[in-house]
Amino acid sequence: MDDITTQFEECLRRHLRSAKPNPINYDVELVQLGLDSMTAVAVLLDMEKTFGIRFPDDMLVEGTFRTAGRLKEAVQKLREQQAS
Amino acid sequence: MTRSVPDQSLGPAWAILELLARGIVDDSERQMVRNLLLSETLDWGELLEQALRHKMLPMLAHHVISVGLRFDVPATIYQHLESTLEWNRLQIEVFRRETVRVAQALGAHGIHFVVTKGMTFESTLYGGLGTRHMNDIDFMIAPRDRDTVMSVMQALGYRPFFDWAKDARREEISSRLNRDHLPKLAREIDQPGTRKINIDIANSLTWTKSPFDVPVEEALANPVAQPVPGMPGVSLPCFRPTYQFLFTVLHLFREAWLQKFVDFGTDVGLMKFGDVLRLIDQNHDELTNGELLRIAEIHNVIHPVAWVLRHLDETFQTRTQKLFALEKYGDEELLASQMQSSAYVRASGQSMRERLQSKTRGAVRPAEPAHRGS
Repeated sequence: MDDITTQFEECLRRHLRSAKPNPINYDVELVQLGLDSMTAVAVLLDMEKTFGIRFPDDMLVEGTFRTAGRLKEAVQKLREQQAS
Repeated sequence: MTRSVPDQSLGPAWAILELLARGIVDDSERQMVRNLLLSETLDWGELLEQALRHKMLPMLAHHVISVGLRFDVPATIYQHLESTLEWNRLQIEVFRRETVRVAQALGAHGIHFVVTKGMTFESTLYGGLGTRHMNDIDFMIAPRDRDTVMSVMQALGYRPFFDWAKDARREEISSRLNRDHLPKLAREIDQPGTRKINIDIANSLTWTKSPFDVPVEEALANPVAQPVPGMPGVSLPCFRPTYQFLFTVLHLFREAWLQKFVDFGTDVGLMKFGDVLRLIDQNHDELTNGELLRIAEIHNVIHPVAWVLRHLDETFQTRTQKLFALEKYGDEELLASQMQSSAYVRASGQSMRERLQSKTRGAVRPAEPAHRGS
């Protein structure tokens, strides 16, 4: 699969004010970068549109987007499932 | 409460709607509306459009008919108003029967709940005249009962739906993540004039992770039984006045501050400010005995409550902030500092009155939240 890092980070930066000027730390909780339950909706929707994926209901939980690393893993997994 | 003559700087159509929203209490106000309706400068197109936008068309219809303007209003408009009022009354009857059906099913499963908003206000604040518009039926439950209530609703024929929103997928994701409401529920019915019943079930007085909230379990304790018009011996559980007021005000605050309601065109409305005024008028003693303030302070909702009252006062020239001794609360900068997310409305520079009258609210999106001002 292609490396999605650039598109993924652009997507995050579009919604998270605190992520804009700095390199994204994949281990830091996204709430520390300004994510709340409402901007999370915008981020997930943008991820779906950007990568042509659809989060199933069981992934629409906070654990999916607790950190950038977790979210990127989820996006990659869904892309792989879709490709196979 | 002293009632002032509405400021007519926004024109007769707007003055009529403000008068109707706050409620006509005597003959002098009835005459005031009558004179405005007969004004040569009244633009009926503007009046009808704004009445629709603020869900006040049945209320306007009732007033036009009850003050005997049959031959003073353009005939086709009068006929349309008559049928609008008739249809609204029929819809309320359908909603009322369905509310009782759902309430009985929830009660049979031991669910603690109350009926909220339009269904309760129609008979308590609007005299059961069939003039209060309602899109749906609203309930409040405790978060712990979400799954049981969803099962009960499905057994009653209801299904979640999202296509009411402009972006259905956004709403679907939002309802999964923001668990302050169940997804909106709908059931198709075979009823002329009303093909679908929508039900909205909340389990929070505000919204998920709001910096302001009142515990639902506390609000649901000691509900009052409200008789159902036309159904002798049948009653529905409703919030007692203190919590009814808190919920109504906090709900208005939510709709004023969350951008998604602006985007949907369902944010603040004149009728909902009118609900607050009518609640105060009808429950003056209970709301001003100190309990309300104590609860608002304990749960850190005093600023949102005061913010709503300040805008209510600015819009209707009332003095409710003073009545509740909340003049020093409700600072917009302070509230904005606690609501930094892009999900919240940014300052438009408009007064609430201008915002209410505006027909392009979604377009008002200043660039920087730091410029928010009152």
